[in-house]
Amino acid sequence: MTFRMKLLAGMCALLSFVGGVALATSPAPTQATTELPRHQVPASKDGNLVVGMCDGETSLEVKGVKEGQKLTREQAMRVSGDLMDAWRKKNPDANWDPTPPPVLAQAPKQPTQGTPNPPAGVQKPAVGSSVREGGITADSGGKQVRKEAGVNIQDGQTYGAFTSRDEAIWAASTEQFVKEGHRVFHDAEALGGTVAISCDMCHPDAANTHPETYPKYQVQLGRVALLRDMINWCIENPVRGIPLADGDPRLRAMEAYIYAQRKGTKLDYGKK
Amino acid sequence: MRTPSGVALSLAVLLSVHEGWANPPASAPPPDPLPPGVSAVLWKVSVPASAAPTPEKVALGEKLFNDKRLSLDDSVSCATCHDPNKGFTDGKTVSEGVKGLKGMRNSPTVLNALFNGSQFWDGRAATLEDQAKLPILNPVEMAMPTPEAVVVKVRAIPEYATTFQQVFKRDVTYDDLAAAIAAFERTQFSGSARFDRFIFGESKALTDTERRGWALFNGKARCNACHAGNAVNPLFSDQKFHNIGVAAHKQDFPQLAREGLKVVRLGDEKQIDELALQTRFSELGRFLVTKQENDVGAFKTPTLRNIGITGPYMHDGSLVTLWDVIDHYNKGGVANPFLDGGMQRLGLTEAEIDDLVSFLFTLTDERFAKFNTQELARQRARKGQRPERDTAVAMGKKGNLGDLAPNPDLAVKNPADIGVYGTETLAKPASTKQP
Repeated sequence: MTFRMKLLAGMCALLSFVGGVALATSPAPTQATTELPRHQVPASKDGNLVVGMCDGETSLEVKGVKEGQKLTREQAMRVSGDLMDAWRKKNPDANWDPTPPPVLAQAPKQPTQGTPNPPAGVQKPAVGSSVREGGITADSGGKQVRKEAGVNIQDGQTYGAFTSRDEAIWAASTEQFVKEGHRVFHDAEALGGTVAISCDMCHPDAANTHPETYPKYQVQLGRVALLRDMINWCIENPVRGIPLADGDPRLRAMEAYIYAQRKGTKLDYGKK
Repeated sequence: MRTPSGVALSLAVLLSVHEGWANPPASAPPPDPLPPGVSAVLWKVSVPASAAPTPEKVALGEKLFNDKRLSLDDSVSCATCHDPNKGFTDGKTVSEGVKGLKGMRNSPTVLNALFNGSQFWDGRAATLEDQAKLPILNPVEMAMPTPEAVVVKVRAIPEYATTFQQVFKRDVTYDDLAAAIAAFERTQFSGSARFDRFIFGESKALTDTERRGWALFNGKARCNACHAGNAVNPLFSDQKFHNIGVAAHKQDFPQLAREGLKVVRLGDEKQIDELALQTRFSELGRFLVTKQENDVGAFKTPTLRNIGITGPYMHDGSLVTLWDVIDHYNKGGVANPFLDGGMQRLGLTEAEIDDLVSFLFTLTDERFAKFNTQELARQRARKGQRPERDTAVAMGKKGNLGDLAPNPDLAVKNPADIGVYGTETLAKPASTKQP
């Protein structure tokens, strides 16, 4: 067995192991587990819309809007702004990064189909480290092979010999994934929200999402949470949508976006 | 498809990272609009500004592509083996050139060839331009003796003499002729398959059978190990070279490679072209180009776009139907010292093979819908003849070809739903609802 074959066999074993784990840990939606806390917002006496805050306690009655009615994006931003103010008053010492006022940071109108979301953040995926310089690659035609034949590098790895074409494709794929997350994050409709509140209203440019602090014990969830658990909590309240499945492309994309926005931040799991 | 400006930007940043790309060559702007299954990013990666297919070049290239006068006895054009009506292939096992002479390789499709990392089954040409020059000169294809002879012949045709002057502002050259043909080929992108409708959210565009096939594709059948696709790279090909053991039982690879080492002149594209089409060295595949041991018997992963209408399959056209192809993979290919490490038995049942084949037929562009249906019927009619089938090996009752990937549990998690292709990257995610 050559070294290459061993390497391949090892990689395959690893891949099949990962695949096995992925399948083994697939959620079984029918299996009921212990009851987890939920934020039940109180009903309004006048039948007004009540929006809950992510702390699992606070709620806000929206005067003039009946339960089941939709808010405009402006109304939704006012509601989320009021909720944020309430939270800040309750938690004056909280670790909350100053953010630009949401109204300035975000598009003034609820995005309708065809109008673009606010531009995505400036973070870009890391690229370029695995492309070696010179040598024969899968993109080399006969002429380049002759030119590169004397290059003193180890050639001949089917799976490791990546080209700049590969890198370009990977970078663009990652970028699109993050962009899709940016779209969902800013789009109440895509989130499955029923009251026009979207993530960006409390977390402009994904500020204060602190993805680097997960996993951590999240008090209002009553358990150790991953970032996606917290996203889902916010989707219930204040977004007023249905939690997304772990494998839901929208959830995956939002996770990607949030992590991308915190590029360079040191991982610090468990941090409050 | 919308092109996010961020993608273009990141691409520019990325390309500038590498020394070789210190000044990234500008890309030609992609056509607008592009079909859903064609990626603007991949276009920019693949088409440098200098090779932009201008309408004049394309028109000239199309005429040349269909002109039999480019061959020695006016009997063969590019379109003979790359027939636009047959998905730009010829449907033959191996291609036939002048006087019915046969080569050693199956004609690959021109559709989406512009996105390939390299051209030919062994990647001996890096660009479409380099590719176009070789068949015209190959003795068993179009058989012109030299580039100069082609130029003399084309210059003598008045309409070409004037058109070349108009397009390239000079007399006919072999380089310009290849550039025109390449320009035409850069208009032959294809990405309006039923699959694309499905991935763009029309969940009913695929039947249950086809959806199961898509799940197998990304799961138990492990097709995506080499044929992965996503919205940025929708070719379903890694553009790498793998020995999967096609026709391995016909030769002693180590012996052939030893002989090949003495014969092959590195970088001599003309010689490699002739070895590939006229000699038993053809089976050495990528090794002919690189002379590297691990490339023995390795051939390029072809695109799966339009696969239903571009049979017969593999570099030598030795597999007649997609059922044969899946049979080949199901038993882990044919053992040989250079077999790719990813080749292991798959343990697919007959029903799963049917699902997988059904799915593959959804990758055909809808402009060939009728042809696709005919081909599916024709291939299905041959289901009784399955020369590659070895159920005992595939199911692990015989041989020792590795462990199986687990059966996808479609009730719990369908890989089709988590978007291996591109729900995670598309502007509009594919529906996760059951049809």
